[in-house]
Amino acid sequence: MDLATIEKVVAFVGALIVFAFALVGLRGEWPKNGLDDNVTKVLLGLMAFGCVLVVLACFGVLPHGGGGA
Amino acid sequence: MAVSVATHGHDAHDDHGGHDDDIIYQETRDMRLMGFVLFLVSDVVLFSSYIFAYIYLRNSIQPNWPPIVDGHQLPRLDTAFAAFNSVVLFGSGVTMHYALESWKHANKGRFNLFMWLTIFLGLDFLGGQGYEYAHAQIGGWSGNIFGASFFTLTGMHGIHVFLGVCFLFALWLQTQRGVYTEHRFFGLTAGTLYWHFVDVIWVVLFFLFYLW
Repeated sequence: MDLATIEKVVAFVGALIVFAFALVGLRGEWPKNGLDDNVTKVLLGLMAFGCVLVVLACFGVLPHGGGGA
Repeated sequence: MAVSVATHGHDAHDDHGGHDDDIIYQETRDMRLMGFVLFLVSDVVLFSSYIFAYIYLRNSIQPNWPPIVDGHQLPRLDTAFAAFNSVVLFGSGVTMHYALESWKHANKGRFNLFMWLTIFLGLDFLGGQGYEYAHAQIGGWSGNIFGASFFTLTGMHGIHVFLGVCFLFALWLQTQRGVYTEHRFFGLTAGTLYWHFVDVIWVVLFFLFYLW
C-alpha cells in the first residue's frame, strides 16, 4: 500500500468520524436561536459539507479528486 | 461604547454581581457579538476578493490548468495529502465546538482536553501545510500564476490558523486564571466562531485548489 492510499484511508475514516460529530453538534445547536448559535449552525453545516468533499476526493468521485503526488 | 468598555472586565471578576450587572453584561455581550460577527464578515470579503481573482485568472488567462511553464505542464497538487490535512483541520473545529459545550456544562476537565486537542490539531495542520509548501512542484511564489494564487491564498489562510492557535492558547490561559465563568464566557464563544470560520474558508480552498 503506497503513501497516497494510506493518506486517503485515514482521511476517509477521519472524515466519517468528524462528519458524525459535526452532525451531533449541529443537532444540539438546532433548538437555540441566538446570533452566535445561528452562525455556529451555518459553520458546522459547512464543515460537515467539507467532510463530504473529503470523502468524494478519497474515492476520486470529484474531478481530479483521485490525484496523488 | 463607554458602557461596553467599562463592563468588559466583568467577564472576569464579577460572577456574583447583581441583577443590573447581568443586564449590562447581556446587552454589551450582544454588541460585542455583533461586532465580532461583522469582523468575520469583513474577513469573508477579504478572502472572497482573492478567491474570485483566482477563479477569473483560471478561467480566462489560463485555459490549460495547471499552467504550462517553460514548455512543461505543472503537476496537480497532492489531493490525498490535502484530504488528510483537511480532516485534521475539520476535526479541530469539532473539538473546539465540544470544548465550548464542556465549558457551558462546567466540565473543566473535558474543556481542557478538547481545547488542547484543538490547539494540537491546529499546529498539526500548519505542519502539514509547511510540508506541502516544501514539496509542491508548482514553482515558487512568483514563478507563475498558479503558484502565486496558491501560496497567497493558502498562506493567508495559514496566517489565520496561526493567529487562531495563538488566540485559543490565550483563551485557555484566561480560563486558568478565572477570567470566564459558566455564565460569562464571551471570549470562548468568539474563539469558537473564529475557529469554525477558519475551517470553512479551508473547505472553499480545498475545493478550488485540489478538486476543481
